[in-house]
Amino acid sequence: MPMANFPPADGSTEPHEPRDDSARPASGVEQSDLELVRRVQRGERGAFDLLVLRYQHKVVKLVARLLRDPAEAEDVAQEAFVKAYRALGSFRGDSAFYTWLYRIAVNTARNTMASRQRRPLDYEADLSESEQSVVESRMRHGDTPEAAALSDEIHRTVNSAIEALPEDLRTAIILREVEGLSYEEIAEAMECPVGTVRSRIFRAREAIDRSLKPLLD
Amino acid sequence: MTGQIREQMSALLDGELPKGEVDLLVRRMARDVELKRAFGSYVLAGESLRTPGGVVASKGFAARVSAAIDAGEVAVEAAPPVPARPPLRWRRPLAATAVAASAALAAVLLVQPDAGDEQLFAERSGAPATLPVVTLPAGGSSPTPAQNQRLAGYLVTHGQYATPIGRRTAWSNALATDPGIARATDDNLEAP
Repeated sequence: MPMANFPPADGSTEPHEPRDDSARPASGVEQSDLELVRRVQRGERGAFDLLVLRYQHKVVKLVARLLRDPAEAEDVAQEAFVKAYRALGSFRGDSAFYTWLYRIAVNTARNTMASRQRRPLDYEADLSESEQSVVESRMRHGDTPEAAALSDEIHRTVNSAIEALPEDLRTAIILREVEGLSYEEIAEAMECPVGTVRSRIFRAREAIDRSLKPLLD
Repeated sequence: MTGQIREQMSALLDGELPKGEVDLLVRRMARDVELKRAFGSYVLAGESLRTPGGVVASKGFAARVSAAIDAGEVAVEAAPPVPARPPLRWRRPLAATAVAASAALAAVLLVQPDAGDEQLFAERSGAPATLPVVTLPAGGSSPTPAQNQRLAGYLVTHGQYATPIGRRTAWSNALATDPGIARATDDNLEAP
């Protein structure tokens, strides 16, 4: 996964697209994001809802980490998404959408902190995905008890559902979600057609969804 | 049918849905609450697998973002255009007035001929060295308010309607007739 490019410390909220990502090939998810972005730019408002659904947890986690206040993380994350929507017309696709979105989220969190004259967490350094995971796991200590309990419950439910899956479905969903392999790579690893991989991943997700639904309703 | 659509949705989440299938699916998802809910559930499961625990967005977060966008009637803004220069039309009369006023001030400050100058002017022009005495109205040598107003009106009108070249020529001619003014003007021009 590419490194997140965080903005310079100039207080700007205007997202600028980093150019150093242009040389690497875009992943399927990035291309899918770009397709949704183009639709939003053409006026398909509903396509933005899908982008929000896809990145809501990542953005809320990131903002909560920067603010050190999970209670207001959702408000700031919401503001970041609204800003992103408004600025989407200037998104050219030079960088991945999520990189651009994270930049807006970081700037929005920074402005919130500046307005409250709080010392920001050091987010100048580039954080890799793995580093973010470490920080995010440590961030749990700042969760509200309710949020922490829900997160634990979700995690347990998902794990239970995964354990209950047939082996071929479990392998497929883990290779996709945890290892980040493409369908083609998974097909190669599991020695089956790409269409079968797609079906297995879908069925695994459906099984997990059935377990999660009562929890989230 | 629903299973097919949800499988397409799963592939979309992974960026593996053929481009030709995206259009119909996205439009369908935009109006189908249950599809969007399931999409959110797929995302949440993946997040939970990758980073166990931690903060997750609450159930209604995406709906709140959508409502905020709708409530604010925000629209996707196009790339900000290069700021256009403000129209210059309003500057013209102002600049002309300023130049005209400067010229008038220069004339007032610099055209104070002494007796020697009058003599020199008379010799060059053939005019009588001693001008007839004009009796000014009581109250001293200052122009009356009416005269001031008339002069100012003339300068403004002249500044508005004269072309820049015409103004420059007229003032150059006027200033050049007096060596003292011409010298002072040259000095000003040489100043950094």
